Amino acid sequence: MRAILTLAHLVILEMVRRKDIYVLFVLTALLTLIAAAANIFDDTRVVRYLKEISLTLIWVSGFVLAVTSAARQIPAERESRTLFTLLAKPVSRWQFIAGKFLGCWLACGLALLVFYAFFGAVALSRERSLDLAGWAQAISMHWFMLAVPVALALAGSLLWAAPSSNSTLTLVVCFGIWLLGRHLHKVALGLPEPRATLLTLVYFIIPHLELFDIRDLIVHRWPPVPWLFWLGALLYAAAYTGMILTGAWLLFRRRPLN
Amino acid sequence: MTEVIQIEQLVVTYRDTETRATRTVVDRLTFTVRPGEVFGFLGPNGAGKTSTMNVLLGFTHAASGSASIFGVDVRQPIARQRIGYLPEMTYYYKFLTAEELLRAYGRIFGLDDGEIRRRTDELLALVELEAARRRLIRTYSKGMQQRLGLAQALLNQPDLLILDEPTSGLDPLGRMKVREIILRQKAAGKTVFFSSHELGEVESVCDRVAILHRGELKALGPVGEIKHPADGNLEQAFLRLIGWPGAPKPASDAGPADHQPTAP
Amino acid sequence: MPQTAIAILFLTSLALVTSLEPWFQSWQGNRAQSADLLAVLLGDARRAFANHFFIKADVYFHNGYYPSIFDNRTAFQTPHMAADAGALEEKNTGEEDDFLGPPKDWIDAFGRRFKPATHTHLYQGGARADGPAHKEIELADSQDVREILPWLRASAALDPQKIETYTTTAYWLRQRMGKTTEAEAFLRDGLRANPDSHEILFELGRIADEHGKDPARARNLWELALAKWRKFELPKKDPDTFSLLQIASHLAMLAERESRWDEYLHYLGLWKAASPQPAEIEKRIAEAQAKRAAANAKPQTQNSKP
Ligand SMILES: Nc1ncnc2c1ncn2[C@@H]1O[C@H](COP(=O)(O)OP(=O)(O)O)[C@@H](O)[C@H]1O
Ligand SMILES: [Mg+2]
Repeated sequence: MRAILTLAHLVILEMVRRKDIYVLFVLTALLTLIAAAANIFDDTRVVRYLKEISLTLIWVSGFVLAVTSAARQIPAERESRTLFTLLAKPVSRWQFIAGKFLGCWLACGLALLVFYAFFGAVALSRERSLDLAGWAQAISMHWFMLAVPVALALAGSLLWAAPSSNSTLTLVVCFGIWLLGRHLHKVALGLPEPRATLLTLVYFIIPHLELFDIRDLIVHRWPPVPWLFWLGALLYAAAYTGMILTGAWLLFRRRPLN
Repeated sequence: MTEVIQIEQLVVTYRDTETRATRTVVDRLTFTVRPGEVFGFLGPNGAGKTSTMNVLLGFTHAASGSASIFGVDVRQPIARQRIGYLPEMTYYYKFLTAEELLRAYGRIFGLDDGEIRRRTDELLALVELEAARRRLIRTYSKGMQQRLGLAQALLNQPDLLILDEPTSGLDPLGRMKVREIILRQKAAGKTVFFSSHELGEVESVCDRVAILHRGELKALGPVGEIKHPADGNLEQAFLRLIGWPGAPKPASDAGPADHQPTAP
Repeated sequence: MPQTAIAILFLTSLALVTSLEPWFQSWQGNRAQSADLLAVLLGDARRAFANHFFIKADVYFHNGYYPSIFDNRTAFQTPHMAADAGALEEKNTGEEDDFLGPPKDWIDAFGRRFKPATHTHLYQGGARADGPAHKEIELADSQDVREILPWLRASAALDPQKIETYTTTAYWLRQRMGKTTEAEAFLRDGLRANPDSHEILFELGRIADEHGKDPARARNLWELALAKWRKFELPKKDPDTFSLLQIASHLAMLAERESRWDEYLHYLGLWKAASPQPAEIEKRIAEAQAKRAAANAKPQTQNSKP
């Protein structure tokens, strides 16, 4: 466990010392503030569009951050050959994968805290109250959801050597699921046979990241999700993450390194 | 007493990614490294030294043959707690300082923070990086990185130190430092296994050497035994052994096989 | 890695710019069409975006409970915010609450817990975190309908020829939020871009009538609207009778209030022609004829209501 935590700590240190997070945050904040400066018929209490723009940017940034940071971990270790120094020490390969995953995921969590604090400030500046339960659900579900792209990108980096093609592919998959995932079954019902079964299969296999997107509930101030379902969603993400990481470990376990 | 490193009939092959043909880069290699000795693993570039070490550290798997460290097969989770390793060319995490790097590695070895601090101070003094200890590794020169590599390899006070071309790319002062460290380990009763292609450097520090050429062992034994009287130094012996045409002719016509020791 | 991040961010920004552009415009106070960089960039895509934002406003009108393009949209063919504003004739059929149908599988059923799940309208209070979602607040209480405005503004900026944007926006501005001045100014913007729009003229007339309390002006505007309707709509193969109905009925009711019975009867005739239930209007015509007869009996009374 100490080795895993140490590896995770290194990943977080790296992300904190790189510019990516700041660039994404500044861009998100800037675009939100530009939107906030708009004059909507001299009404200063219009807020939902701002909440939506801000949350959408946070979602996009979250995916970009999770995938790009996870995708470069293993290739960077191999390229700088730090992997050899590391694995010559008492670190097993599953600890290596777990440490890298944990680091990326915790770093995403830290980034989300900053992003969602900003979101809370934007919402509070125009609304009289912040729906704390909803806010907490949004950030926790978003964070657990991001475990899946992080794991996917890590596994992908073992399949595709080039980090850029891996992150592009993972991002396309993530955005695809996010935007279309929940409709696949419906669409499949209207297709001719071989394709219908195929699409239905895809629907049941993919991790449904869109479940975790409760932006509509937050933007329009709906009551929070029943906590039991909230818990179910977190477990759902954890299960997929576990499966993907296991797959990554199986890929990495016997892989010759040179 | 068990041998520190034992390699028997080791074969390492690579598959060419384009032609899909397998190429043998280490061919039926057999030798042992004994406790407390400084063992030079010599050979020109491409001889297969790094490939052998990769097998020893579990990075790649042998096509056939066996290798063990401290009596444990390298395919098992090896006794890495007792090994210090300096890879051939490494850049350390550029976003860390030397101090942070050693702290992270120390934690991986399970050392407590006080111990880590003590060893960090000592090792950074040894490799003369004290002045730069709080600078990001990004700003280090190649020589500084190499010295930091030595420091990290010594961090766990290893019983076996494996160094892959530790002197390559270092200035004369740096090489002297490496030799000093090797002798220091020897004085402490530790084993050192290192590869090199710069033979003049190693002559004075090695108890025994193995000379590898194109994956085959050409000679094994103490430096004095490998050298013919006609060879001025190890370098000339080496050139003769690998069959370089310009090498001095030995007095007798003995082939390299004469110097192959019998298997233990 | 960084390149991917930058590419994706660029695309996102581009998508966002399409929604932000109108505000850039309002910042600069620049209404010159030629200075509009996006016009060149996006060309015809502008209209698609404008439409998207118009629908987006209707999504907000429903607090996010809205069918996607993959769902049954028969109950949402006409955006409810436009139908309720009288900006478009409602052509919806089917059950508003039931566009999703029964859950198709456990993921679908599970997923519905994380999305809005009740049909509500913003101007009725809509969803609330601090109360049951279905609780409808007293109509006049809620000004939440303001939340649709940014998207309507964006829609108008992207496609100034989309008339229902102006009329819908103006309706909610004046009706729900008491922003008559802004409503009128926005309609004037619309009229500049669409000088022959009977819909906008009609809506301007309603402002003059209901908020400006200037019936003469209202009548002028409505008569102009009717003239425009006759000139541009009537020759069409399938003229927009819904607009005619609105214009004629408002002109008729104004005439009734001012006891101009001949005029009243004239517009009732038009109203009847446009109405889907002519029998109703027939009754009114009969009443009006009686009133005219009574009025003609004592011609010295010049009556006008305040
Ligand atoms: N990953 C690899 N794939 C294919 N061939 C390799 C690989 N690594 C090394 N080789 C080849 O194996 C041979 C031995 O290489 P190496 O062990 O690195 O030599 P040395 O360390 O003695 O310089 C060389 O011919 C080299 O080209
Ligand atoms: Mg080598």
